[in-house]
Amino acid sequence: MRDVIVIGAGPAGLAGAIASASFGLKVTVIDEFIKPGGRLIGQLHQEPSGEWWNGIKESERLHQEAKTLSVDIRCGVSVYNLEKDDDLWNVHTSIGTLTAPYVLVATGAAEYPIPLPGWTLPGVMSIGAAQVMTNVHRVEVGKKGIIIGANILAFAILNELQLAGIHVDRIVLPEKNPLSGKAGEPEEVMKSLLNAAHLAPSPLLRMGSRFMKNGSFRKIGMKFYPKNGVKVNGTPLLLRKAAIEIIGTEQVEGVRVADTDENGNIIPGSEKIYEADFVCIAGGLYPLAELVAVSGCPFQYIPELGGHVPHHSEMMETPLEGLFVAGNITGIESGKIAMAQGTTAGYAIAKHAGKDGAAIDKQLQEAVQNVRSVREQAAIQFNPEIDSGRRKMSELWESLYSKNTRENSQIKIG
Amino acid sequence: MNNNEAIVVCRCEEVTYGALRFTAEEHQCTARELKLRTRAGMGFCGGRTCRIPLDRIIENVVSNISQGDTPLKYQPPIRPVTFGTVGEKND
Ligand SMILES: Cc1cc2nc3c(=O)[nH]c(=O)nc-3n(C[C@H](O)[C@H](O)[C@H](O)COP(=O)(O)OP(=O)(O)OC[C@H]3O[C@@H](n4cnc5c(N)ncnc54)[C@H](O)[C@@H]3O)c2cc1C
Repeated sequence: MRDVIVIGAGPAGLAGAIASASFGLKVTVIDEFIKPGGRLIGQLHQEPSGEWWNGIKESERLHQEAKTLSVDIRCGVSVYNLEKDDDLWNVHTSIGTLTAPYVLVATGAAEYPIPLPGWTLPGVMSIGAAQVMTNVHRVEVGKKGIIIGANILAFAILNELQLAGIHVDRIVLPEKNPLSGKAGEPEEVMKSLLNAAHLAPSPLLRMGSRFMKNGSFRKIGMKFYPKNGVKVNGTPLLLRKAAIEIIGTEQVEGVRVADTDENGNIIPGSEKIYEADFVCIAGGLYPLAELVAVSGCPFQYIPELGGHVPHHSEMMETPLEGLFVAGNITGIESGKIAMAQGTTAGYAIAKHAGKDGAAIDKQLQEAVQNVRSVREQAAIQFNPEIDSGRRKMSELWESLYSKNTRENSQIKIG
Repeated sequence: MNNNEAIVVCRCEEVTYGALRFTAEEHQCTARELKLRTRAGMGFCGGRTCRIPLDRIIENVVSNISQGDTPLKYQPPIRPVTFGTVGEKND
């Protein structure tokens, strides 16, 4: 008999498997990709301390540790449904149905798409796809690229493309419209980039970041934003230019771009074509919570966490008995935080499974504390208001589940 | 905007932004109804790419709806599977 099924072999899932296996539980990990590591295996960046974060090495370390604890890891297997019958969870996969009393869902995040004219041409990809092609598959995505959308993920991957010797010519915003949402509003974009100043070593972003936190300074800042952009690692970041169309007949040949005013509105007659042979669309990340949704778990929309997230406690429990969550499915944050959350979930499962008292309580408490301290020291923070998002979820949990005040009016998306 | 009408939002079922906006404006409906009327989100990928644009279109066109209210549901199977796989007995 198996005690735990972990869905997703990213940092959260692997850390969760390790923590529960260290208390003697029998664990199976399932992942649909060909190898374990999740998004870690695409990551390579330098921390402010100068130290390199090498995701491939991290994932190998986790994989090794899990193997030493006899965790059963199955790659290339997709989970398509999750439901409970009596005391056991049924995890329906492409190789049949597996069952266990405890399930940890750690399926990570997906990218927000930004549809625009020409986005179906060969050579257009999401920024995450460029990362996977470059760092995982080692395929050159093109010779000269344009990134549409400016956010922290785009900067991190810009760096990775440059390290691989791929030229990114410029970063522009998508045209402001209902499909692009905030990604097309220069001021909103500037606001979200302020906390990434260390990743975008440009004098304007760095010196300006304190000023720019103030709304009216930010307006002025956008008004006088240099037409030729500011350089991020040598690549111009053009917050006052918007991509109107990706052009090409058989494949990408370029991007039609127009100047915009400080509010992102197109200035008529300012259009220009920039040549490129690949285009990356960077729309940001949202929690990939589809399996938890079909399981019947209630959700809350918390924009600071990236969108709809399953109700969960700081110990990573959901309101459904035996169902736990960890990592980006609970809110968009960096790989280190996902790992710390996974460890917490793994200990919480061991505790629910009745593993020895004092030791587990102590480890669980330390793990919860560790998530907070890793968050405080995080080098990459995808949403500057993450703390407020996390607070909203824990208040929600307190009010709904801590005092036996279970309600029926929760929003479900399953 | 005219150029934007032709954007293919749902790539599996080839539904354009123009068709989606027109349907949403005419019926002032939920994202789910928009999906059922146009087939956007009902293709091979299960709406993985276009579900968010669909929610955004509804939010933009229909007053009094925000993203927190009525997002598109998820339904199993959440990955494409063969009839053989779903029809199989539990092992
Ligand atoms: C494109 C992209 C780039 C990123 N780049 C960075 C970066 O540079 N630095 C950084 O700190 N953070 C980055 N992140 C954030 C990243 O999500 C976290 O760093 C971290 O990897 C999250 O860990 P996780 O374990 O929650 O999920 P993931 O690492 O995403 O792992 C989830 C795993 O679940 C599997 N899975 C999902 N659904 C199913 C299913 N139905 N059946 C079977 N398996 C399934 C996936 O195959 C995947 O391996 C990036 C995220 C994305 C999406």
